[in-house]
Amino acid sequence: MMYDEEEKTASLEFSEVVTRRLGGETIRRCYQCGTCASSCPVAKITERFNPREIIKLSLLGKKDEVLSGDAIWLCCSCYNCQERCPQKVEIADVIYALRNIAFEESHRPNIYSDFASALLNDGRIVKISKFYEDKRPALGLPPLQPTGVDMLRKILSATGFDRLQQKEKS
Amino acid sequence: MDGVKVGVFLSDCGNQLSKILDFDDLTNYVKNISGVALVSRRSEFWRGEGLQTIKDDIEGGKINRVVVAESLPKLSEVNIVQAVEEAGLNPYLVETIDLKDHCAWPHRETPKEATEKAKAMLLAAIERAKLLEPIEKLEFPTLKSTLVIGGGIAGMQAAIDLADLGFEVNLIEKAPFLGGLASRAGRFFPTDDCAICIQSPASDVKTITHTSRKCVYRSGFSEIPNLTILTNSKVVGVEGVPGNYKVTIENKPRYVDEMKCIACDLCTTVCPVEVPDEHNAKLKNRKAIYMRVPNVYPPVYVIDESVCKFYDCAKCVEICPTRAINLDQKSKQMTLKVGSIIVATGFQEWDSRVIKEYHYGDNPDVITNLELARMIDGFGPTGGAIVRPSDRKPAKKIVMIQCVGSRDRRWNPYCSSICCMISLKHASLIKSAHPDTDITLCYIDIRTTGREHEDYYERAREMGIKFVKGRPSEISRNPETNTLIVDVEDELLKRLLELEADLVVLAPAMVPAEGTKELAELLSLELDKDGFFKEYNAKLRPTETKLRGIYLCGGATYPKDVPTASLHAHSAAVKAAKFLTTGKIVKDQRTAVINGDYCGDCEFCPVTCPYDAISLEETTEGHFIAKISDLLCEGCGICVGTCPLSAIELRHSRPSQIQAQIKGLMSVNGTSKPLVLAICCSECGHTAVDSSGMAMMKYPANVRVMKVPCTGILQVHQLLDAFKAGAQGVMVVGCKSDGCHYEVGVQKAEKKVELVRILLKEYGIEPERLEMFNMVYIEGNKFAEAAQMMTERIEKFGQLQLVGVS
Repeated sequence: MMYDEEEKTASLEFSEVVTRRLGGETIRRCYQCGTCASSCPVAKITERFNPREIIKLSLLGKKDEVLSGDAIWLCCSCYNCQERCPQKVEIADVIYALRNIAFEESHRPNIYSDFASALLNDGRIVKISKFYEDKRPALGLPPLQPTGVDMLRKILSATGFDRLQQKEKS
Repeated sequence: MDGVKVGVFLSDCGNQLSKILDFDDLTNYVKNISGVALVSRRSEFWRGEGLQTIKDDIEGGKINRVVVAESLPKLSEVNIVQAVEEAGLNPYLVETIDLKDHCAWPHRETPKEATEKAKAMLLAAIERAKLLEPIEKLEFPTLKSTLVIGGGIAGMQAAIDLADLGFEVNLIEKAPFLGGLASRAGRFFPTDDCAICIQSPASDVKTITHTSRKCVYRSGFSEIPNLTILTNSKVVGVEGVPGNYKVTIENKPRYVDEMKCIACDLCTTVCPVEVPDEHNAKLKNRKAIYMRVPNVYPPVYVIDESVCKFYDCAKCVEICPTRAINLDQKSKQMTLKVGSIIVATGFQEWDSRVIKEYHYGDNPDVITNLELARMIDGFGPTGGAIVRPSDRKPAKKIVMIQCVGSRDRRWNPYCSSICCMISLKHASLIKSAHPDTDITLCYIDIRTTGREHEDYYERAREMGIKFVKGRPSEISRNPETNTLIVDVEDELLKRLLELEADLVVLAPAMVPAEGTKELAELLSLELDKDGFFKEYNAKLRPTETKLRGIYLCGGATYPKDVPTASLHAHSAAVKAAKFLTTGKIVKDQRTAVINGDYCGDCEFCPVTCPYDAISLEETTEGHFIAKISDLLCEGCGICVGTCPLSAIELRHSRPSQIQAQIKGLMSVNGTSKPLVLAICCSECGHTAVDSSGMAMMKYPANVRVMKVPCTGILQVHQLLDAFKAGAQGVMVVGCKSDGCHYEVGVQKAEKKVELVRILLKEYGIEPERLEMFNMVYIEGNKFAEAAQMMTERIEKFGQLQLVGVS
């Protein structure tokens, strides 16, 4: 589902919105066993992230709480939870789906906006500083080639990425 | 049709129906139909004087076909048919219709239209009655003996019941000893007593044992009259038909003579071979010659041929004081002739090694519930002590994990249903024997549905057993303390816990016993999606299969606790007894019949028949012709609908009879609306129409209803012919897709409707004029709505134009 179909889904349950997303299809299978939470390396070091809780909040329709918080951005995408989930909930992919919805609704940490701008402008998420460029010969690495940013922009345009980015700026 | 004299009997339900239907008009109409010998009208015909008039007319030679328009024909038909038979007429020459629920009630607001519809219904019934033919009743002799496969709790109980009732029973068990899973379980909920206790058989045995409840191992079980027990045996071949099965049994050698062994135990003292004892969770060793536990049935040693050195050693042979050991015994095959078979093959624990992060199999201190049961059992390998298998030190901290491989879409999606209770029982037993043990039970949901089962949960909490709502993700070993660490999130606290444990006990899923699939193939039985034996009807026939004479009980159909397995076993025994007791199967010949002139060389019908009733036989010219077993055929007609050459007919629903009915129903309209024909299956579809009438639901009188045994009988050309006969729209009404009373008939019908819709489109006819509906008896409203909807839809389409049909 593309973001411009948003209006059609406005009246749907939030979890239904998620199931219609690429990656979010399996969210309603969750029976809250917590295997994901205790498998999660991020949850081990911070209470700010708990995959089971994110899914539970989504199932209960706590859309704003899920989308505006920073929890969904803390997943490190190790897929440990997804491997172990007994209900085959694609947890990491669900979190990607949630991130996409959040991004479209302009809930996004600054760093992701910077990534997005950098990707559109330079074709790279992380800006290459002169410091790193100078280090490369010493490590025996060839100089960096310019990215095929024009082609990349075509893809980003076709997938709606640039419009999303514009929407945010306006 | 020469000599056909139809008697038509119109019931007006105490003048209730005549307020709507014009009975004088109907009587005059019917009188003028050719073949009708008399028309009679009364308040009711299904009992008393009314019934007597039907009998009198038959006995007086006035009529030889009977059409009865009676309310609730599905109830009254039984009486009428019996009376007809008593009067000397073949009982299958009767046709009943329901002028109340199918006509007067739903169309009460348009009495004229209702009367016209009633005429069409009567004409259809009379035309069909004229074409009916006598049906014979067949008898098939059955043997009064049975085979019970599986010597666990369920199999033993069913075997005792049937032996007690006087049937000859053979009980076979694959293992060398009886008892099954139960013999390893130690103690049972909800009584907390031992596992091997069963109902003692009839009073003559009670005089031996003096109690009504006995341990199977000491109850004189083997002395029960009519019961033959074969251990170390399995089924390798099954032939025959219900009532007459020939079963080939392979009996593996025990190498010890059951009649000579006195269980003195001298043999094990000299046997040099030691192997881990599977029965005792490998917590101790046994010899190559062994007995499972001291009080086991049969109380006879057995040699494990996979490890015995035979003549390289033979020390046991020398020492045996009764010369019971014979190393030359060979495997032998025997044939049993039985009338019925009871499958009681049970279930087993799933192999938890699959879940790598739990380390079952490579960490000895991670065990399963069944292994823990051996430790709790005083007869077990630790004498009741709960220890860490790695160093045999007492286990002071125990973590239990529920739902290991069950409720898990990756392996077994179902709830194994008994594991919560098993774990609660184990936790309570350990805590009461060793109160200083720290026990934590990790669960997703606790399920204690059963009498007194919730008490276990309550008692466990009161004893101080800890509960963590959360499914652990991993078990690891702490190298410093040599204890286990269980990672789990306590969801209620929303906190990650690292639980320390000496012993972790898994509650694995319960899965079908080994060999279930092979046995299902031998018996031609179906398995469900989880691999358990599938019953004929989960609601009403939970121990029957689609094959008469073969029954299921115990954990073979789904994991069960002992009370449920017992119920199931007794139920299967009753069903088997009912089947065996008359010594014959009586079945009428409302079956399919092959026209040999058309049939040839295709294999559609044998493959389609849900009852394996059709076989192919080679003719002298080298062709193959289908042959139908009247014993196995259930008369659904799915083969009729499948045959590409129209070479099969049902004796009681011949295409000519169906055609006559359609023509009759379409003969008179009498309404301003387009005629719609609803072809209903006699199971759910037709009864849904009944219930719509009973509930006084309304739909227009242009909708005409007829029944067929199953919608699977319908042929493509029949659906097209319905349009030719005058139908502007056709409804096919069957059971729910997964609820066909003949397994697959409704699915076949759905496909055929799809196909005919494609054809209609090709002919330039709106495909939506034909529609498939699925409903159950209580969905009368669904039928009324569908009838209304179809009428409105066809009205929009307008008159159907068929080339060459006036």
